[in-house]
Amino acid sequence: MKAASAEKRHFSINQIVPVISAVIAIVFVWLGLSKYGFWHAQQGPMSGFYPTIIGIGLFLMSIVGFIFSFKDATPLFPKESWIAALSALAIIAASFLIGLIPSVGLYVILWLKWYEKYSWKTTLITFAVIMAIVIGCFVLWLHVPFPRGFILDAILK
Amino acid sequence: MHNFQFLLHGFQVVFTLQNLGATMLGCVLGLIIGAMPGIGSLAGCALLLPLTYKFNPTTAIIMLGGLYYSNMFGGAFSAILLNIPGDTPAIMTALDGYPMATKKKRPGQALLTANFSSFIGGLIGMVILTFTGPALADVGLKFGPVEMTTLLLFAMTSIGWLVGENPTKGLILTLLGMLVASMGMDTLTGSPRYDFGNVYLLGGVPFTPFVIGIVGFSQVILLMEQRNIAPQMVTDKLTLRGSMITKHDAKRLALPAIRGGILGTFIGVLPGAGATAAAIMSYSAQKSFKSEEPLGTGAIEGIAASESANNGAAAGAFAPLLALGIPGSGTGAVLLGGLMLWGLNPGPLLFKNSPDFAWGLIASLFIANILALAVSWGVIPFLIKILSVPTKLLIPAITVVCIVGSYSTSNSMYGVIIMFISGVVGYIMQKFKYSYAPLLLAFVLSPMLESNMRKAFIISRGNLDIFVQKPISLAFVIAIAGIALFPIVRYFLVRAGVMKPKAAKK
Repeated sequence: MKAASAEKRHFSINQIVPVISAVIAIVFVWLGLSKYGFWHAQQGPMSGFYPTIIGIGLFLMSIVGFIFSFKDATPLFPKESWIAALSALAIIAASFLIGLIPSVGLYVILWLKWYEKYSWKTTLITFAVIMAIVIGCFVLWLHVPFPRGFILDAILK
Repeated sequence: MHNFQFLLHGFQVVFTLQNLGATMLGCVLGLIIGAMPGIGSLAGCALLLPLTYKFNPTTAIIMLGGLYYSNMFGGAFSAILLNIPGDTPAIMTALDGYPMATKKKRPGQALLTANFSSFIGGLIGMVILTFTGPALADVGLKFGPVEMTTLLLFAMTSIGWLVGENPTKGLILTLLGMLVASMGMDTLTGSPRYDFGNVYLLGGVPFTPFVIGIVGFSQVILLMEQRNIAPQMVTDKLTLRGSMITKHDAKRLALPAIRGGILGTFIGVLPGAGATAAAIMSYSAQKSFKSEEPLGTGAIEGIAASESANNGAAAGAFAPLLALGIPGSGTGAVLLGGLMLWGLNPGPLLFKNSPDFAWGLIASLFIANILALAVSWGVIPFLIKILSVPTKLLIPAITVVCIVGSYSTSNSMYGVIIMFISGVVGYIMQKFKYSYAPLLLAFVLSPMLESNMRKAFIISRGNLDIFVQKPISLAFVIAIAGIALFPIVRYFLVRAGVMKPKAAKK
């Protein structure tokens, strides 16, 4: 029984969230006390008052969370899940170069044709539907001034 | 009687072409989004928030109200036809809805039972809301900073405690949400705070991109894990004629739906409880009443109890949201955030200062209830096609809406970056079984709590006694202490064998 509980006490990624939340709490408490102020004799609570109290609470709860985290099952983070995140990052990067609307259009085509291996017919129909929503709602209706990117900006200059 | 007159005035507000169109649009989108497994009302409202910027505040929130409300209708569709609830409140619907569709080969009737029960539950909820909303606001008018501080603390504590299996995780996220909300400007003095030298952070973390990321983009990353799973539909064709319910079916659903509607509304009014808790409690309560067939085998009574309760709760949740500014769920928090973005301050004065808005919204819920019933009936022949849209196609579509939507709210890539970061954080949180609802609620409520708490301390000159000297705040302090002590008391009761241990979730 003792061996089993000792086995459970191994550090794993389960401790990441409570550790990060404890670090955030420390930063907020430290800044609250040292930079923004906690209490003023005449004016009462100062800018750092509330975040400091919440930060102390978060720090204490993070310790409790850290202790309990050893009992949790370790989740799996499949590599393919991160591809969605990476693709969004690629869109953000590409938008600085070729603009946001062409970036999302290119992403839809590449994602469906290259990653999901859909036929050209499905790819183009889905592309047309998504772009119709984006251009119809956001460009024509809401008049959102989407970034044009360095290349188009340079050409238009 | 006054309330009835105000409600009639609300109908006058809603009966404009724009408002009716917005309600209809909200209903159609809500049904489609609610029906699609894995998206849900929270992500639906978050993703559609940017689209409402074109409207005036009343129309915008009417559309979101219709969307949120009809989402509850839509959540039952995939629960019945796929055994996958479109949204968490529909979990209990699947228990009887799916067997009724498969074993009894009555999928259309199961859908109509869910629709009618939702309508009845929602109608009861709205009638109660019409009378309790302003009454609650009258009570709220007696609340000063001291009472508001304890009420908000109570709302946040119960949220942290009720959401998820682990109260510690709920509280960590509640506190984290409060800290994130404190970045930017001091709520009382307006001086910069926790901006880390970043000019963008001076305005704080923008609400809409943050919500789109936490609930929308994190869902995209999660969907990647199930993108190869093809939905198993119970039937390949549904017709309106083949979906009609009999008189006997209608008799069976009426009483459980009325009971569920009343119970659900009162649960919906409680801060932090929400539609899921209402559906579970109503379904459990139905076990004590007579059902023609055992629950869990495709009983109409089971579908009626859970569906009416979750719609009753959806309507009931508007009472504390409008009257006190306290959302009952994550979706309520998005609606509240939306209200604040448009410069409306929900709270006791909303019914007095913005009656057009408050009563227009309540009236629009009545219309949304009728429209959602009509639309959900009308879409039955197309449901198979809607539910057959592969996840592989949904992923790029939602990703694009997340990116474009979060850009449009700030007209800056800063919004997209916030959406991306909060999406990744939301995904990691969900993998570690941290529910994001407490984080959102705390993020929205935190500025109000800070402002009231600091005012209370200024009044009392730092004396904590002020929170127990006033009867209303004392009642909330006792409730907070009860919530905080309950797990400890339960632990000792379980050890003493007086209480059964909490069943582990499968």
